[in-house]
Amino acid sequence: MQPVRSVKHPASLFLLASILVASAACSAKKNAVQIPFAATWEGQPINCNRGPYSLSDLRFFVSDLQLIDSNGAFHTVEFIEDDRWQQATVAMVDLENGEASCANGTADTHTRIHGVADISDFTGIRFTVGVPFELNHANPLLAAAPLNDPAMHWHWRSGYKFLRAGVVTESDGTWLHLGSIACNGTVRDIRSCDAPNRIIVELPHFVPSDRVGIDLSALFAGVDLRNGERSDCSSGPAETECAGMFGALGLTFANQPGSVGSVFQVLH
Amino acid sequence: MLLALAIAMASAVVIQLGKQPAYHWDIPADFPAPSVPNDNPMSVEKVELGRWLFYDVRLSGNGTMACSTCHMQRLAFTDGRPRSIGSTGELHPRNSMSLVNTAYASRLTWANSLLDRLEDQALTPLLGDNPVEMGMGGREAEVGELLASDPEYRVLARRTFPNDENPYSVLNAVRATAAFVRSIISFDSPYDHYLAGDAGALSESAERGMDLFFSERLECFHCHGGFNFTDSTTHASATVESVGFHNNGLYNLDHSGAYPSDNTGLYDMSGDVRDMGRFKAPSLRNVTLTAPYMHDGSIRTLKEVIDHYARGGRLIESGAQAGDGRLSPYKSEFVVGFELSDQERADLLAFLTALTDESVLTNPRWTNPFEP
Ligand code: HEC
Ligand code: HEC
Repeated sequence: MQPVRSVKHPASLFLLASILVASAACSAKKNAVQIPFAATWEGQPINCNRGPYSLSDLRFFVSDLQLIDSNGAFHTVEFIEDDRWQQATVAMVDLENGEASCANGTADTHTRIHGVADISDFTGIRFTVGVPFELNHANPLLAAAPLNDPAMHWHWRSGYKFLRAGVVTESDGTWLHLGSIACNGTVRDIRSCDAPNRIIVELPHFVPSDRVGIDLSALFAGVDLRNGERSDCSSGPAETECAGMFGALGLTFANQPGSVGSVFQVLH
Repeated sequence: MLLALAIAMASAVVIQLGKQPAYHWDIPADFPAPSVPNDNPMSVEKVELGRWLFYDVRLSGNGTMACSTCHMQRLAFTDGRPRSIGSTGELHPRNSMSLVNTAYASRLTWANSLLDRLEDQALTPLLGDNPVEMGMGGREAEVGELLASDPEYRVLARRTFPNDENPYSVLNAVRATAAFVRSIISFDSPYDHYLAGDAGALSESAERGMDLFFSERLECFHCHGGFNFTDSTTHASATVESVGFHNNGLYNLDHSGAYPSDNTGLYDMSGDVRDMGRFKAPSLRNVTLTAPYMHDGSIRTLKEVIDHYARGGRLIESGAQAGDGRLSPYKSEFVVGFELSDQERADLLAFLTALTDESVLTNPRWTNPFEP
């Protein structure tokens, strides 16, 4: 785009302004954007095939994805609807393939989000892990994909599991199911949730060739994975194991504010 | 099954008119009808479809479990275990609940402030994975396929949902199952007969027990009051919503009032410590059949339940759950403790026994249709 100072004539300035308005209105989001995701453990890839640490689950919802340009301005990414993983404002990422230690999962995976934005070059991104409130308390049997996956829904708490993550070792394992709790109202009429538990991830140095890494060793750093004791967290306030996981995600747990989230990282 | 269907149809008189007959609740005139959500009206066909589904093990991931596995008619639709066990062997943190008159529950399950519809509640046992109960999560499409492929279900689903383009959906299966549960209504206990004017229906002992139950000394009625013996009751003509959750002093871990971490009651929903150990007061109808008692099945007999209330909270002397529930800071002010003579104890027990409606256990409307 031409820098505005090169325009000398007021009339052409007006013309340029109206072209800008017109193009913003019809075809602003013409650039395809892909954001890939990958799971890691202490800097190494982790998957469902047994190793000292293997994945048992990793599925989550992403909404409000923004690209940050070199001026620090934010550009919303609109997701491309595909009737399976993405609708306009929420997409599901699925990094488990249902094999070996992920036997409770699904064979299909969805490792990158596809969208359109009004820019193609960016230097950072920001997104929310979670389902927007307006969509979060719908009936999962009536909702459109990807919000029709019962594994990602919390029937008794109302709302979706924003994030399901788990790892296993030879003799031990742990998992997290994250979602909004302390909601007010009734299932068909949730008015608000005192603990929304949506994670806002900002990666200020992220360029189009990068991937978003989810470091499960950071997420589960507080869990003893050698004591053979089942230690999981389904976001309940009495679950002591949740404190470390929430902390690592930068979320408040039982009135304890989290640290700066360290789980989501840039992979070059 | 077609025979059973024919019988169900025969009892529905106006079927020839091509309209579904109005559902007839079998409820004495003195009692209100349950409230029914607008999007799931009752019909004879729907309840019948729901009855088959309720008893159908094909609704579980490994073909071993139906709703009826944990809700058995002969136990007033409970399972007799302290805590239920899911189809893959996982232990549920809580005790199964009676489904008799659940149609009147203003909130469902032991401690959930959000769940107020049977249609929503049914999703948890069917699809939930923590714990796995019926284990259909991720396979819910199979429920619709079952309705579409089984010839009897096909007929029944089509009749039940005549205006649906595709009546063979998991949503419709859930609606029908909920309608069946809603149909399980009982007002035929000796106590009901007594209220209806049959003074001889209660023994003198049970009558004295009734006075104790409704006395300020024992306070039972504060939480187990009303026609359904629970303050979490609603009905079609209710004007105010009644929802109650109470801590009745079962636990007091570390002198802090805490409950075991997998069963903290309403606290798990709200995160507010004042909700620690608060549970729904269950209906006491048919309570002689629903042992063991409490949310975790931790009291074996009704006698011990009475001891618990008489003491004003439970003392657990040692082990991981040690603590004196009587001293819990979160205990309800209505659980105060009282002294009972042996005769009074027997009287209270006689009254609780008079809340049992034997007809529920054999009423053919709710029996297993797969068993001839
Ligand atoms: C594995 C055993 C099990 C199975 C199978 C099961 N339930 Fe339950 N049910 C329970 C337990 C345990 C509770 C208490 C749950 C809680 O408080 O979290 C319960 C509670 C309920 C309640 C709440 C009752 C009340 O008064 O609040 C209803 C309704 C219910 N179940 C219906 C069903 C239906 C319908 C099905 C089949 C779709 C079903 N259940 C399958 C064990 C089971
Ligand atoms: C403060 C309210 C309150 C009072 C008063 C009260 N209850 Fe309860 N009752 C409850 C609650 C809540 C539960 C379930 C508690 C739990 O599982 O943690 C319960 C459970 C029970 C149960 C077990 C039922 C089942 O199916 O498991 C019985 C029986 C019972 N109460 C009888 C009585 C009697 C008899 C009295 C009077 C002596 C009484 N209750 C007084 C609230 C109350």
